[in-house]
Amino acid sequence: MNILVINAGSSSLKYQLYDMKDESVLASGRVERIGMDSSIVTHEPEGRPEVRIVDEILEHTSAIKRVLDMLTHPEHGVLRSVQEIDAVGHRVVHGGEAFKESAVVTPETKLEIRKLFDLAPLHNPAHMMGITAVEAVLPGVTQAVVFDTAFHQTMPQQSYLYPVPMVLYKRHAIRRYGFHGTSHAYVSERAAEVLGRPLEELKLVSCHIGNGASATAILHGKSFDTSMGMTPLEGLMMGTRSGDLDPAIVPYTMNKEDLTLSEVNSMLNKHSGLLAISGLSSDMREITEAMFDGDKNAKLAFEMYAYRVKKYIGAYAAAMNGIDVLLFTAGVGENSVVLREHVCDGLTFLGIKLDKELNAQRSKEARVISTPDSSVAVMVVPTNEELLIARDTFKLARQRGAEQA
Amino acid sequence: MNFRKIGVIGAGTMGQSIAEMLAYKGMDVFLMELTPAKLEQGLRSIEISLDKQIEKWALTQAEKKLILNRIHGVSDMSDFSQCELIIETITEDLERKKAIIAAADRACPPDVILASNTSTLSLTELASAAAHPERVIGMHFVYPVFKVDLVEIVRGLRTSDATFKSTKGFVEQVIDKKGVMVFESPGFITTRLICLFINEALHILEEGVASVDDIDSAMRIGYSFQHGPFEMADRFGLDSVHAALESMFREYGELKYRPSFILKKMVRGGQLGVKSGAGFFTYDEDGDRV
Repeated sequence: MNILVINAGSSSLKYQLYDMKDESVLASGRVERIGMDSSIVTHEPEGRPEVRIVDEILEHTSAIKRVLDMLTHPEHGVLRSVQEIDAVGHRVVHGGEAFKESAVVTPETKLEIRKLFDLAPLHNPAHMMGITAVEAVLPGVTQAVVFDTAFHQTMPQQSYLYPVPMVLYKRHAIRRYGFHGTSHAYVSERAAEVLGRPLEELKLVSCHIGNGASATAILHGKSFDTSMGMTPLEGLMMGTRSGDLDPAIVPYTMNKEDLTLSEVNSMLNKHSGLLAISGLSSDMREITEAMFDGDKNAKLAFEMYAYRVKKYIGAYAAAMNGIDVLLFTAGVGENSVVLREHVCDGLTFLGIKLDKELNAQRSKEARVISTPDSSVAVMVVPTNEELLIARDTFKLARQRGAEQA
Repeated sequence: MNFRKIGVIGAGTMGQSIAEMLAYKGMDVFLMELTPAKLEQGLRSIEISLDKQIEKWALTQAEKKLILNRIHGVSDMSDFSQCELIIETITEDLERKKAIIAAADRACPPDVILASNTSTLSLTELASAAAHPERVIGMHFVYPVFKVDLVEIVRGLRTSDATFKSTKGFVEQVIDKKGVMVFESPGFITTRLICLFINEALHILEEGVASVDDIDSAMRIGYSFQHGPFEMADRFGLDSVHAALESMFREYGELKYRPSFILKKMVRGGQLGVKSGAGFFTYDEDGDRV
């Protein structure tokens, strides 16, 4: 069975085609700059050279068409026809309380996802465009949705409630949901595998640090607390998102700057974080480079970012009354040697001893980067949300097939 | 009905604002003006407006680029061939609007909706210029269109149910605004009420009861208006307020619509509000109060 995994953003779309016989990747790629006259399609058939095309792709339906063209291309393709795609799995950021696990796409599912647009304004509408585009281009194919929030549905009330009037929770489901759940779930399982210890015995803090960033306290294999809240805006400082701040800043700024709700929302989601402090970029690589070139604002942005990661690790060690494993994943977490070092340097009181040489080694494998006598295993575990999405989609498509037969 | 491509006729204040909002919502906009110079000016104003929004953190540079890429300047109605909806928003001049409706009616297949953004003119009369009056409807936006989520959907005598239904679907599902249904009547709801409000404020001023500042403060703070009546008039353009009142005065024949003398005098003196830099208050180039 072949499963196509799609992660649709507002102006980009990533895809991966799996053969579920052996969970091998047949091809992967991405479409960037959707909506512009110079969109870029990068297609990587497994074991063959990458193909890159620059063309005008104005919306998601054309982007999906392009992806299918690539997958069935006589030269670069890996399928004879699109009929060989048995199911499509989508990453969806917000599943609210409606989705505790992955689901098959039905009109009801779509309605529920739409209802959650307000809660994840940067993400859910884009995922919906991806789902609609697949419906238009591959009518009849089974589609599944895998939610970033589902893993965190195990959080206890003390973690997921906000200390605000309870009526808000009852009326509007205002509570903490958490995100990157697929990633936190995957990397914690992988970490336990690599350490050869049962996940059910571990106290683990997982730092998913990419353009969006979140830390999760995983107690005995279940999400106990996580830094993102009702929306992906809470918690750590991010590329363009503020993360934690005093909520009173919002009305105060709206009043002083005469801002509307949507303006202040956009300010906190798109004009804050690393970008706001550095005045330079939302990309950690560029921030680090500028910092080494002596840029003061970049240095401040970097330090604030690392400081906030460190605070959360300390808080979660306290929340679980201990920490056995600290792991880093996602773009920055997997690649920024200097950030990992900076964060761990201030956590020696927890018994963390980073092996600087191991930390500096580049690798795509899950690995331990602490010294043998470190009481906490520090790890880098490359995330693989796509594989988890493919597995869930495969499972749901098989169930559905069995029901229909 | 699917709405992907929209034609907008007229790149004045309202045309710019409508085009900007549509492009922001992801539609391709075909913006038409009489002369290349006017079109150029309209497109430039849209860019300035987007820059102002970036300053207010409402947009990013990338989003601005995307929005501008979706707005295509055109000079001829033959460029509307792909559009599902045409919105006419030229000056409030009955004869010119009729000519535009007639031309658009000839240029577009009969299932294309022809909407007019008129605030005071008769929809029925505008529609009479078309061979297919059933597809002509009023869509009255409120400035700034980007921020104000209300559209008066105006039915003329012969507007069909299908046209109304599609238009309402467009307003509420595609551009996410509240659509209120109004039957043809000069000024509909919004213009009729707000112009009377402004006119009465002018009477209070004429009678020497209170100052411009105090009248504005009283209504702004006392009744949660974003702007008081005078700043509101400055922002609409005093000439537009004057024209709307004159037109309602003629149609209804009631004295309460007769424009105040202060208003007439200021319009004659070219003090038109934000667009001329001075009205009841003074404004800088960005339209902010000095």
